Amino acid sequence: MTAPLLVMTGAVKRFGGVQALRGVDFDLKAGEIHALLGENGAGKSTLMNLLSGVYTPDEGTIEIDGKPVRFNNPREAQAAGIATIFQELDLVPSLDVAANLFLGRELMRPGGFLDVPAMRREAKKRLEAIEIAIDPGAMVADLSIGQRQVVAIVKALSYASRVLIMDEPTAALTVGEVERLFDIMRKLAATGVGIVYISHRLEEVPGIADRVTVMRDGRVAGITEPHAPQAELVRLLVGRPLDELYPQRAKGAGKPLLSLRDASFKLARDSAGWQAPQGVSLDVHEGEIVGLAGIMGAGRTELLSALYGTGLSGHWEGEVAISGRPVKLDSIKAARHAGIAFVTDDRRGSGLMLRMAVGLNLVMSVIRRISPNWLVSPRRQAEAVKESFGQFDIRPKNPDIAVGALSGGNQQKVVLAKEILGNPRLLLLDEPTRGVDVGAKGEIYARLRALAAQGLGILVASSEMPELIGLCDRIVVLRQGRNVAEFMGGVDEHTVLAAANGREA
Amino acid sequence: MSDEKISAAGAPVTAAPQKHRDPLALIVRFQSLIGLVLVAIGGIIFSPRRHGEILFLNPDNIANIVRAVSETGIIAIGMTFVIITAGIDLSVGAVLGLSSVVTASMMISGGFGLIPTILAVLVMGIVFGAIQGTISTRFRLEPFIVTLAGLQAARGLALVVSGNQYINISYGDGPGLAPPVFAVLGERLFNNTVPVATLVFIVFAAIATIVLNTTRFGRYVFAVGGNERAARISGVPVSMVKISVYAITGFAAALAGIVHAGQFNFGSANDGMGYELTAIAAVVIGGTSLFGGAGSMVGTVAGTIMLGALANILQLNNITPAMQLLATAAIIVLAAVLQSLVRRREGLGR
Ligand SMILES: Nc1ncnc2c1ncn2[C@@H]1O[C@H](COP(=O)(O)OP(=O)(O)OP(=O)(O)O)[C@@H](O)[C@H]1O
Ligand SMILES: [Mg+2]
Repeated sequence: MTAPLLVMTGAVKRFGGVQALRGVDFDLKAGEIHALLGENGAGKSTLMNLLSGVYTPDEGTIEIDGKPVRFNNPREAQAAGIATIFQELDLVPSLDVAANLFLGRELMRPGGFLDVPAMRREAKKRLEAIEIAIDPGAMVADLSIGQRQVVAIVKALSYASRVLIMDEPTAALTVGEVERLFDIMRKLAATGVGIVYISHRLEEVPGIADRVTVMRDGRVAGITEPHAPQAELVRLLVGRPLDELYPQRAKGAGKPLLSLRDASFKLARDSAGWQAPQGVSLDVHEGEIVGLAGIMGAGRTELLSALYGTGLSGHWEGEVAISGRPVKLDSIKAARHAGIAFVTDDRRGSGLMLRMAVGLNLVMSVIRRISPNWLVSPRRQAEAVKESFGQFDIRPKNPDIAVGALSGGNQQKVVLAKEILGNPRLLLLDEPTRGVDVGAKGEIYARLRALAAQGLGILVASSEMPELIGLCDRIVVLRQGRNVAEFMGGVDEHTVLAAANGREA
Repeated sequence: MSDEKISAAGAPVTAAPQKHRDPLALIVRFQSLIGLVLVAIGGIIFSPRRHGEILFLNPDNIANIVRAVSETGIIAIGMTFVIITAGIDLSVGAVLGLSSVVTASMMISGGFGLIPTILAVLVMGIVFGAIQGTISTRFRLEPFIVTLAGLQAARGLALVVSGNQYINISYGDGPGLAPPVFAVLGERLFNNTVPVATLVFIVFAAIATIVLNTTRFGRYVFAVGGNERAARISGVPVSMVKISVYAITGFAAALAGIVHAGQFNFGSANDGMGYELTAIAAVVIGGTSLFGGAGSMVGTVAGTIMLGALANILQLNNITPAMQLLATAAIIVLAAVLQSLVRRREGLGR
């Protein structure tokens, strides 16, 4: 047995009155991939933030190679060779990809000038190593969430000399991309780097982890080996066995709700790396949940945002109809008027007002309803908030907390709850369970099914194939902005993947 | 990276009492009121006395304080809306000047009556602000730049209207004279205690407080400042809200301009020079965040009065204007530091 590279003992962290960590022991060996699992709000990100210097522990010690260390800021942690991929990505949106990758360690020319071409070249090389096409000159603001995740990964990989912390790096990646990431992680681990890997995708764990630590309520609930049966993992995670994750499918769908016939959408800025929907034909019926599958850049997010009128230009060709009537979906107003609601995959960028209270965020899409005759009715507001808390297990159960102080998964529940509050007829969901734990996922799926049973149509894009297959009645596969295949729910994963990648099954 | 500790801005959503309040957050929430009390206590302690009377507490002196701050106060009220949307309006002082000039010249050279004059000036302020708001939303320009240009434009217009002259307002009936009731703006009511200008300020503040805290529009204002993209996706009419807040600052500046003309009995293109900065200072001291999404009207009122009271004590003690500026500077920095401490500190307190 090698001595651990890193040991944390008795870590305690409080936020005001909330105790996020109640004495956690954690260790990491050189060359090990250590999976850290736990429910939303269990304290995983907080624990890792102590390692990466974002927070300092209230109590407890951190030792590296047996020597106690104390990081007062992220820079000190980085200097000690600890690289972090944060759950909420820490990229600068207004800088390009290459500039982000080299932020703080820019390549210089003699005389103190930035060597931009060299940084671009090097950036390109590193991105190619992970086999994902991202232009090093593209603005990060223009990238999709999945692409941003890749950039953050590549950035951290490049300076992880001792420890790499990965806080849900795969939440917006599809299987193929995840596999390539795992290859890179294994190679890195083989060089002696210790890796902490946080994920809510339990099926990934056996394939990548050497050891598993499960946290619950700010404590370590158990340490186990990665090949433990999923049921045991779940029991450790949630503290009880879970029922079937996916609810029963609908018996039959209702009238057509959304129909696209050969619909194309023009983008104002082609250079931004957006994949415009081209000649898409698909239907969503009342009571039906339809999935959108595809690899990164297939145009899933683009299709959803175009339907919601946020797709940069608003120029549709082909037929777009809601309930059989042609509509012009060229603005958010038009979309909302047609009864469409949209849950963005970018919860911090365009989903939430982070510094405002959870309750105020929840009622944001129903302000009209809670303010008849222009005055906000506190009673209606409280009712709406109560309704959301009743439908979604947002923790802690306090609407007065700033939404930015919730754990990632709980923020996601708020984004979702907020749009559902608006009683839409058609719900467009982009990565609706990004960062949500297994228990809460099951509840969200049940919720969505119940809504569909009331006649709502749901179009959901997800990079998580089991989710699409388990939840949806039908799955439409997009590739390069076109719909290339369609399957019934429950289909075999490989069949969908093959279609998404343009290969024979 | 947004890993700083975050506490929520805005009114509580539940009536339930909060268990874990962060004392520092509470202090910041009421920082301007606390500051006001401290300044008042300081005022009492350091006030010069005459025949045992504390001059600072003399009713005339207090009336003077609240009168002197009424114009910047009115402007600060409007500014609070703009700053909560994460915007800024630098044109307000200049619009005040323009308004006071137009008020004077309409009544004196134009021969317009009181009501038409006031209405015309207020509409002018609203339109001026709305234009700035429209330009900034339509062309996606920083409000800083647009209103900086607006500042120049308003001063220019004021010079044109006034011909770079003081326009004196004399009262009476007939052409070339202003209606005598206009002079009431410089007087005090209720046994010569409450300055009319202060009343205007307080009434405007009360209305603004209600609009900000209880109406749909107020909620939109917070939403736009909290996260513009999220607001847009939630169906908030973002452009309309932005244009409206600049229309409100324009209205406030025009109102302040009318009060100015009435108090000083003249209009000059140089009126209101630098008021925008005093107003911004009052708003920030009042706890409104320049990042947007958080703020309080009551705080702004307290911040305004506190700055006025501070200036007053220093004056009573014959402290030079230079020292007054330094004292104000120190207070602004202190208020900003307190706010950033709370943002930085762990805490779910609100
Ligand atoms: N900045 C903060 N201010 C106040 N409370 C916080 C803050 N960050 C986290 N917390 C609280 O600490 C607890 C642990 O949060 P943490 O983010 O570590 O959970 P997590 O295990 O990473 O969850 P998730 O899987 O949802 O990302 C939660 O109750 C959360 O509300
Ligand atoms: Mg987390």
